[in-house]
Amino acid sequence: MNEHIVRSYEDELNQLAAEVVRMGGLAEAQVGDSIQAFARRDVPLAQALIGRDIKLDAIEADIERAAIRMIALRQPMANDLRRTMSAMKIAMNLERCGDLAKNIGKRTLILAESEPAGPVTRSIERMGRLVASRLKEVIDAYTASEIDRAISVWTRDTEVDEHYESLFRELLTYMMGDPRTITAGAHLLFVAKNLERIGDHATNIAEIVHFEITGQAIASERPKLDSLTP
Amino acid sequence: MPSPSDARLDRLTVLTGLAGAAAPLALAAFGQAEALPALVVSAGMAGLGLMLARRAPAPVQTVTSAPPTAAPLPFASILEELEDPVMVTEAGAPGEPAGHRLIFANRAARLLFRIQRQDARLITVIRNPQVTELVDEALIGGIAGHVAFEPAGAPERVWTATARPLAGPESRPALALLVLRDQTDLRRAERMRADFLANASHELRTPLASLSGFIETLRGPARDDTDARDRFLAIMQIQAERMARLINDLMSLSRIELNEHIAPQGRVDLALAATDVADAMTPVLRGKGVRIEWNTPPSGGASIEGDRDQIIQVIQNLIDNAVKYSPQDGVIRVEVSSPVSGDPPAVRDPEAARLALLTPEHRPGELYALLRISDGGPGMPRDALPRLTERFYRVEGQKSGDRTGTGLGLAIVKHIVNRHRGGVSVESVEGRGATFSVWFPLAAAAQMSWPERVAKAS
Repeated sequence: MNEHIVRSYEDELNQLAAEVVRMGGLAEAQVGDSIQAFARRDVPLAQALIGRDIKLDAIEADIERAAIRMIALRQPMANDLRRTMSAMKIAMNLERCGDLAKNIGKRTLILAESEPAGPVTRSIERMGRLVASRLKEVIDAYTASEIDRAISVWTRDTEVDEHYESLFRELLTYMMGDPRTITAGAHLLFVAKNLERIGDHATNIAEIVHFEITGQAIASERPKLDSLTP
Repeated sequence: MPSPSDARLDRLTVLTGLAGAAAPLALAAFGQAEALPALVVSAGMAGLGLMLARRAPAPVQTVTSAPPTAAPLPFASILEELEDPVMVTEAGAPGEPAGHRLIFANRAARLLFRIQRQDARLITVIRNPQVTELVDEALIGGIAGHVAFEPAGAPERVWTATARPLAGPESRPALALLVLRDQTDLRRAERMRADFLANASHELRTPLASLSGFIETLRGPARDDTDARDRFLAIMQIQAERMARLINDLMSLSRIELNEHIAPQGRVDLALAATDVADAMTPVLRGKGVRIEWNTPPSGGASIEGDRDQIIQVIQNLIDNAVKYSPQDGVIRVEVSSPVSGDPPAVRDPEAARLALLTPEHRPGELYALLRISDGGPGMPRDALPRLTERFYRVEGQKSGDRTGTGLGLAIVKHIVNRHRGGVSVESVEGRGATFSVWFPLAAAAQMSWPERVAKAS
């Protein structure tokens, strides 16, 4: 009944990486859907994406199990160990991205009950598109093992931070202008913060990809914007 | 008198000659250059019989490959050259959704997804969950289906993916065909049509709402109030006129679009037409105290092939805009120059932002007459320029001003100029006015006399 499958070690490692890429695709879709649901006040889409989060959790558990099994049975060394570990770590980061997207979905449901916030929504959507493109790029870099692309995602993280900073100010002005908007404003602030966190996870993944390929951490200190918030 | 040995020698030369003649054929048959000396030697040694045997296959081969009908269609290269990305996937081990591999990807697919390896895993090429699920269904369930998806990332593109099982589900490993089609343009056109309808109905509803409001008031509370009646009727007339203008513009736009691909008939002098329009608009100009500064060539110098009514409409719309945005007692400059090349005219103000809204198809040697209309109004920001010919588009910040325009004027200009195979460009510095330029191909007679006129001018 069960076929006896003889598979090479290399093939098993590739399979693990392919699972991570599949998970990346899911996480990307979750993030993309959360931005779209938020921008268009699309309640059914937000509900659907909240429901889909379990899938990401399940794949993350699978990847972790497979990686631990590989470490136990194959005792990978050097490059192979890095590949196994980075698969596990990237899966963790992707799972966090999924959680943040789910949280944006939940806030979208709440925001849909109040009045549309106008131009701030557009700024957040713009930031969301930027973050989504970062996530796409870093998963592309992982898929194709391209160091240059990983590094470019890593160095450009400040752009996301700048977006967040200006959004923060915009939202403060918005809330000060009319105290009735504070409830919605607080949720919008969290949506922006979540997007900023997703951007950070993309940067983390870029670091992991760099370490996986070269065996060294990215040397210089990442350019970091002084934040308004701790 | 040739001796027998001489005759034999002769025959040998003939044979070598034959061998020489056959060599290219034989070469083609063998596909290698080394065949040539071997053939010559063997021809000399073995004589006619062998020579014939050697020669025989070559002509036969060329004959059989000659008829073109016998060649099968090159399906592999047809697939390879298809514009849509086409891929064939082979199912991976059961329970491993990331294990599916590509066994074929045509050029379009390889370029789009930057596929490096022929046997890449599908997941490394497309990781959109909707598409991978689609392929899973085709491979495992044997179900065909399609899905629209937008890959994440900067350029907004929309694709439809279609997956079909290639063999029955019992065959191992299962194969699936995946074809993508770019739907970006279609989606954009759909969105534009929806926007247009929404805008048109909104623009029509506003004056209609005000009309019915006033009618209600006149029949009710203001029934016997003569002052109010006069005032309301004046407003109602303005609103009714506005609706009429809007409907006229919409109808003329659709008429222009119907004729857009039919070449215009007739001959118009651009400078004369511009003066006619300005004369007809004298009351409007006087009302705002606006003066026109002219700079035109002598009569007949800018004669273009065109539909007079439509050319008049273009000039009228442009001058109308210039008057609308000019300050009180401003100056509008109207210039006609001819002949000019088909490129957008050079910018006068180095700080100005310029954009060609429509450029004619390049035809070498074609000459144009150019009309430029400048005003001293508030101008437009750079980012507004590309949207100017969009229907109902208004530059932000100017919305609250007098709304005598319909938002269709420049769209009409663009369509008319397009029908006349001309060009439209705009340049503007914010706060210092805007210049609109339109240029049309000169009439055939004017084209011919061009060298003479250059000689005269220089």
